[in-house]
Amino acid sequence: MDVSQLLFGVIVSTVLLISSLIIAAFAVLWLSGTGYLGVKVLAAAVLGVLIFSGVNAFLVKSWTWWKESKIRPLPDKKLFSFVAILYVVTVIFALWYAFAIVLNKNWAYDKATRGGYELSFSELVADTWSQKKPRLPTPDQVAGEIWKSTGTAAAKKWERTEGDPFLERISEVLGDKRNLIRHAWLTLSATMLGFVFGTGLGILLAVGIVHNRAMDNSVMPWVITSQTIPILALAPMIIVVLNAVGLSGLIPKAVISAYLSFFPVVVGMVKGLRSPDSMQLDQMRTWFASKAQIFWKLRLPASVPYLFTSLKIGVAASLVGAIVGELTISQDGGLGARMLQGNYYGATLIIWAALIVAAALAAVLVSSVGLAERVTKKRMGFVQ
Amino acid sequence: MNIVKTGLLSGALALGGFAAHAADDVTLQLKWVTQAQFAGYYVALENGYYDDEGLNVEIKAGGPDVAPSQVIAGGGADVVVDWMPSALSAREKGLALVNIAQPFKSSGMMLTCRRDAGIETTADFAGETLGVWFYGNEFPFLSWMAHLGLSTDGGDDGVTVLKQGFNVDPILQGQAACVSTMTYNEYWQIIDAGLTPEELIVFKYQDQGVATLEDGLYVLEENLSDPEFVDRMTRFVRASMAGWKWAEENPDAAAAIVIEYDETGAQTIEHQTRMMGEIAKLTAGSNGTLDEADYQRTVDSLLAGGDDPVITAAPEGAFTHIITDAALN
Amino acid sequence: MTLILAALVVWAIGWGLNIWISHQKPGRWQSIVSAIIFGITLVIMWELIVRGSGISPVILPPPSMIINAFATSTDILAADFIQTFMKGVLTGYAMGCAAAFLTALAIDRSDFLKRGLLPIGNFVAALPIIGMAPILVMWFGFDWHSKAAVVVIMIFFPILINTVQGLDAADKMQKDLMRTYAASYWQSLFKLRLPAAAPFIFNGLKIASTLALIGAIVAEFFGSPIVGMGFRISTGAGRLELDLVWAEIVVAAVAGSAFYGIVALIERKATFWHPSQRK
Repeated sequence: MDVSQLLFGVIVSTVLLISSLIIAAFAVLWLSGTGYLGVKVLAAAVLGVLIFSGVNAFLVKSWTWWKESKIRPLPDKKLFSFVAILYVVTVIFALWYAFAIVLNKNWAYDKATRGGYELSFSELVADTWSQKKPRLPTPDQVAGEIWKSTGTAAAKKWERTEGDPFLERISEVLGDKRNLIRHAWLTLSATMLGFVFGTGLGILLAVGIVHNRAMDNSVMPWVITSQTIPILALAPMIIVVLNAVGLSGLIPKAVISAYLSFFPVVVGMVKGLRSPDSMQLDQMRTWFASKAQIFWKLRLPASVPYLFTSLKIGVAASLVGAIVGELTISQDGGLGARMLQGNYYGATLIIWAALIVAAALAAVLVSSVGLAERVTKKRMGFVQ
Repeated sequence: MNIVKTGLLSGALALGGFAAHAADDVTLQLKWVTQAQFAGYYVALENGYYDDEGLNVEIKAGGPDVAPSQVIAGGGADVVVDWMPSALSAREKGLALVNIAQPFKSSGMMLTCRRDAGIETTADFAGETLGVWFYGNEFPFLSWMAHLGLSTDGGDDGVTVLKQGFNVDPILQGQAACVSTMTYNEYWQIIDAGLTPEELIVFKYQDQGVATLEDGLYVLEENLSDPEFVDRMTRFVRASMAGWKWAEENPDAAAAIVIEYDETGAQTIEHQTRMMGEIAKLTAGSNGTLDEADYQRTVDSLLAGGDDPVITAAPEGAFTHIITDAALN
Repeated sequence: MTLILAALVVWAIGWGLNIWISHQKPGRWQSIVSAIIFGITLVIMWELIVRGSGISPVILPPPSMIINAFATSTDILAADFIQTFMKGVLTGYAMGCAAAFLTALAIDRSDFLKRGLLPIGNFVAALPIIGMAPILVMWFGFDWHSKAAVVVIMIFFPILINTVQGLDAADKMQKDLMRTYAASYWQSLFKLRLPAAAPFIFNGLKIASTLALIGAIVAEFFGSPIVGMGFRISTGAGRLELDLVWAEIVVAAVAGSAFYGIVALIERKATFWHPSQRK
């Protein structure tokens, strides 16, 4: 790995990220002030674009200059990526802490004015990074909250169940309402059920749409329309209607989750099933392949890469659906219910903890689909 | 030996099954999330008052997206906790809700303002931004503003209304001069956030003479012609009121019970204990029977809603004493 | 019961009509007419089933009531549409698309940044961003600005990822050909890489067009002035004005579909050469 290239990458990225920071800061400042806002938004946008293109032009020039200045060995790809990700993450954290100061400073000043004392800069920083109900909590506060509501909660429950049989204690700990792990599990189960419903429905619809002109003409536009309906508006009604027919608990959440996840699957599968070009279709025809054969031997295999891309979007959409459902059916718990409760009590830390756990859940789900994709593609010969 | 055991076991199971069937099912839909506002019902459940009455009660917590009236119309509940303004409004829309009991005597709703926004009396509201809850809770506010002669469309001689979320952020961040609060909940969130009582001024709906009845128990009118249902509700109200009175006397224990039933695990015991203390002040003075004078005041206040009154005609048969009379005598 | 049977008959007629249409000579009118027939069939079935099974209008109002609400409260619906769609959604969409596109162009120049940002962008795109809505309302206030901010955040990463992927879509041979022509970066960008990226970018734009409206409406659930589509939907349900709620949902659906349709139309004109546009 060429260190000088790495260094250059770091410099370039710093410049770029700082410029993005400036743009973001401008947007926040302009938007949060008072006055005629349309003009401000426009000005901020123009300014942002100018800064951006200026920085970009500068980078391009220096990059070309650097490239021509000497011939360097190719970097080790994996290490390069690793350092790049590490770098970006570091910068994001730095920005996070910086924004925490910017966003929480008003409250700190407010407190100081009412208390009648002056704030030095270091006091300001210390205050903004440790408020009880910050507008933006710092990463360490969020991590602390997550640990408190998983590890510490589990330890407490473990002590309290002293004397119970071992297995019972384990299930007591895992079933503890105060434990975020239980809520993550609740959300995950609704997500998975919804994902299975949604994918099944999506594939069936796509096959129908590709093979039946009447369905293509009439159903497809309404499938798209269905996604423009704000699901959060429908959620309470879906729940009331399902309740009226005796379904409650996991099913309504899974229905909402399926409602969101079937769409990417339909779109991706239709595209995938149509992806064989006329040469390939003609080839099948010269072999006198039947419609069913074309489907099983050409269309379906050709759609697999599209299906997996859709599944990755679909599983993320399922999670969103489950969380939206939990915002409405909050009595059963789940990450959405935690977010709602946190919002209700102005407890930003609870919201962020639930958000981060939801993010981790999303990452796990999407990367499992990604893993399945890689294995399948390898076995089907898409990648050598 | 084994056969005897199995026989005994299945006998016991059958008996248990029979007992479970014998208890009548009641589903209660709350107006909001699990908190001490509904302590009486959770206490009655936990302390077995419902069991003693032969009831198998399921309590469904609500939330911001849950309209109790819609749930009861959909058959998702037998009885709901709702506020009278929204129940009367639903009644006028064709959903015949009837008040069968009124555990809350006084109103806990108020408008909390920052003194540094320049507000000392209701006359200072003009030209300010006020945070209000919706989801059916806006009716008392609208009729109060109509009383004060303030328009709610903004402008210098009216007030600008903000749909406040579920928390008190707007007042903390200065986006609104006043926000709606409950004596037992949001007010303390403002205090917890660091503002002191001296920096705040509160306008209680109760003191302004525009108080409307809050948490009451409502059922569908059509069900009341069924004697079995009336009997079930009688037992339910009796047990619930026993729960409320116990909760008033044992606020700490009641708060602990509420925490136990909170499925989200996000509630804190400190907040719930304090809430229970405030709730006890509101339930004090009611044995569950609806006071007709309070009812009349609520109706009058809602009818006087200015251009766009909440209800247009005095409702008929919106409450009944048959259940409380039977339950409490 | 007869009404429900009638609903089934309507369904059979509608579907039969669509099959008949699909066997006619293909033409432009075909898909439009079938979609309309399908929609009308659904609406009539809805009306008949709601009336036939006696579902309370506070749970699901029949379409006739919704149309009525539409007619009597046009002014409210128009005000809400301007507040949410014209101000919140369009501003947010323009800002989000521009920001994501420019960022993608910038990232594309640096292999280092691309490697660092793409995995993180992919990760963020999969996040339940809706959870950010209450936080953004807290940051940007109650008016449409916070809604625009939610829209920007919701659409930024899908467009970013699609654009970056699209910029890689031109294959090596094509890029080499441009090099043999001595094309500059900008020439090769405008003449080869951007056109090659167009299907990907449009994919991102289409996803974003449906996300945008949903994001804005969801954000209005967490605090708003007393106008806006999300405000009307959430408060209407509490007031049991379900007909108005559904009228608002219809507006949302029409606006959202039109938005998507316009983007798709532009895509069809711009990327007519791509196999997926083949009929």
